[in-house]
Amino acid sequence: MTDLLLQADAKTPVARSARGGIRWRGMLPYVFIVPPVLYLAVFMFYPLGRQIWLSFTRTRLMNPNRSEFTGLSNYERLFADPEFYMALQVTVVYSALAVILGVTVGMIAALALNRPFPGRAIVRAVLLFGWACPNVAASLVWLWIFNERSGVLNTIVTGLGLDRIAWLTTTEMALPSILLVTVWQVAPFVMLVMLAALQSVPEEVKEAARIDNADSLSVFRAVTLPHVMPTLQLVSLLVAVWSIRRFDIIYLLTGGGPIGSTSTLIVKLRQIAFENYDLGLASAYGVIGLILALTVAVIHALFNRRRQKRSQQ
Amino acid sequence: MKKAFLVSAALAALAGPAVAQEDVTLVISNSQWLDALRGEKLWAAIKAYEEVAPNVTLEQEAIPSKDYADRIMTEFGAGQGPDLAIMQEGVFYSLADAGFLVDVGEVAASAEMNKTIDNAVVDGVTLGVPWQRAVYALIYNKELLDAAGASVPTDIDGLIAAGQAVEAQGAIGFTSRHQINDFSGWFMDFQNWAYGYGVDWVDDQGNLTLNTPEAAEAVAAFKKVYDSGIIPVGDDMPTQRTRFKENQVGLSIDNSGGTLNIASGGTLDSANLGAAALPFPHPGAHQQMFISISQHSDHPEEAAAFLTWLVSPEGQARLREASGPDALATDVPVTEEFATANPWAPEFAELAQHSRSTLIPGFEVETGQIMRSVMEAVEEVLIRGTDPAEALATAQGKAEWMF
Repeated sequence: MTDLLLQADAKTPVARSARGGIRWRGMLPYVFIVPPVLYLAVFMFYPLGRQIWLSFTRTRLMNPNRSEFTGLSNYERLFADPEFYMALQVTVVYSALAVILGVTVGMIAALALNRPFPGRAIVRAVLLFGWACPNVAASLVWLWIFNERSGVLNTIVTGLGLDRIAWLTTTEMALPSILLVTVWQVAPFVMLVMLAALQSVPEEVKEAARIDNADSLSVFRAVTLPHVMPTLQLVSLLVAVWSIRRFDIIYLLTGGGPIGSTSTLIVKLRQIAFENYDLGLASAYGVIGLILALTVAVIHALFNRRRQKRSQQ
Repeated sequence: MKKAFLVSAALAALAGPAVAQEDVTLVISNSQWLDALRGEKLWAAIKAYEEVAPNVTLEQEAIPSKDYADRIMTEFGAGQGPDLAIMQEGVFYSLADAGFLVDVGEVAASAEMNKTIDNAVVDGVTLGVPWQRAVYALIYNKELLDAAGASVPTDIDGLIAAGQAVEAQGAIGFTSRHQINDFSGWFMDFQNWAYGYGVDWVDDQGNLTLNTPEAAEAVAAFKKVYDSGIIPVGDDMPTQRTRFKENQVGLSIDNSGGTLNIASGGTLDSANLGAAALPFPHPGAHQQMFISISQHSDHPEEAAAFLTWLVSPEGQARLREASGPDALATDVPVTEEFATANPWAPEFAELAQHSRSTLIPGFEVETGQIMRSVMEAVEEVLIRGTDPAEALATAQGKAEWMF
């Protein structure tokens, strides 16, 4: 009896410990999830919710805590303002071209760097400079490069016997100039990600295609591209969302001008919030930007689902 | 306003016998702290207050001028920010409108203030004291103008002729802000052109009038100068000032603060710098800066005591040394030594007699918003060649829609 009791006493802590271990292991995912959820709640979901709320209020920058609910009036003002449509158009055109050009240039650079050649590591490091360079510093450097009178670009242009180009001060050239800087910044990131994806393409599959007399273009189309497509789609989504919310490069290079030709939703938002002190209307602009970014994300998700269905068939 | 009695208490404390006081740190925000030479001099000037009040430590909040308005208004709006803010008139009016500034009427009454105090009185309450008033003038590089055989212009055609003569010598003819990415500075500079052609942005009834014949004439004059090729298109203002400092620019329209910056620390000898009246039929503008106490300050009495010292003869003398030719809160002449080394300085004092605020009367808080419409109209004229009257009519329409 005594022995039995002793055995029972001896086993109880072990059993408890095992149950505790199981419970602890069950809790473990939640323990890991709590910090990022808290972080997102404080720094993303709360500000986002507050922004959406502000867009339905009359709120001045000077008294952000004294909001007056005004329903849809900010949206009515926004949709009645021709400058909103211009900003929306500029945002869509800028973002679309940033994706097309940034991803194309980045992809071409990744394909070039995917082949071994002497000095490849150096070339890769140099090409990454645009991505590594802080946006404000890069913008100030580009301001000098674009300088009409003494900039590097116009020195080259006039050296070729052509007239100086007003890179940032004409409506025709301002957006292309900003796109040039954007591509210079974005393409290295695309290159880096796509290079990693290209290096994961199984060599034996490409080899098999070559044995079947497929030329380089066919190998790329039939083997490489399908393999890297999910990465390409993801990187396109990231570039699109970043472009919709890009502020620093545009603000520093042109401030949205000339004549609103580079004024995106986010540049307009700053103007309304900090020059007109109208946080309510500025928040409405922010919500439209959010909807735009979400639309891109939904399109990406739909493409993803379709691709998954196809691969399951 | 509710802290006004504390300001009175501070003044009484200053006048009374010295008692042991707790250590206090006063944070003072200003964009000028970042100016290469002027910032250090201005800071040294007010730091002298620590000798007078050993329990007080002054601490800088340095904010770049381009971000100053955005940042200070966000800080005040959030119930935070410095104890004292040194700011442009536009920001001052916005903070005053929001009720964030302390009544400093007693401080102002403690000194013999000049007319620069007038705009610090909002609805009968003094909400700040003048820090500096920087009036605009036409400035020129004497040697470059002499080498080009050009005389100091008195009208737009003369300005273009002189600028082109300087350009022919390989230097830059004339510098001026001209891009919307420098909006807050450009609109203030442009007021010289507007006022110079007799513009009043409001009529006798206080209604906005952006599309007057005078305004169209001012815009047309700016377009004429822009098209003449004497402006370094694409250069921002810091670059233009640096070029002037390095003897690369013939003429400019700049304020006294900017001119002091140009005359210091470069290859241009200050004695080689000239100043004259603006080449327009009427007087131009000035940029007014005020220093105010925040309603959010935990030390309003100490802040008021500091301001009282600042407007006293001792404080003004210290500030004068660092302010060059800018007009101050009281009439303190520049030193003889300064006037000899900087022969251009007296012209600014002369022009300050008739200069006007860059803010639109009755629309002080909304001036930035209104002037954005005007500057967009100017851009339209410069870049698309739109008729000035037509572009300004659009600006007028926008303003009517906004207000």
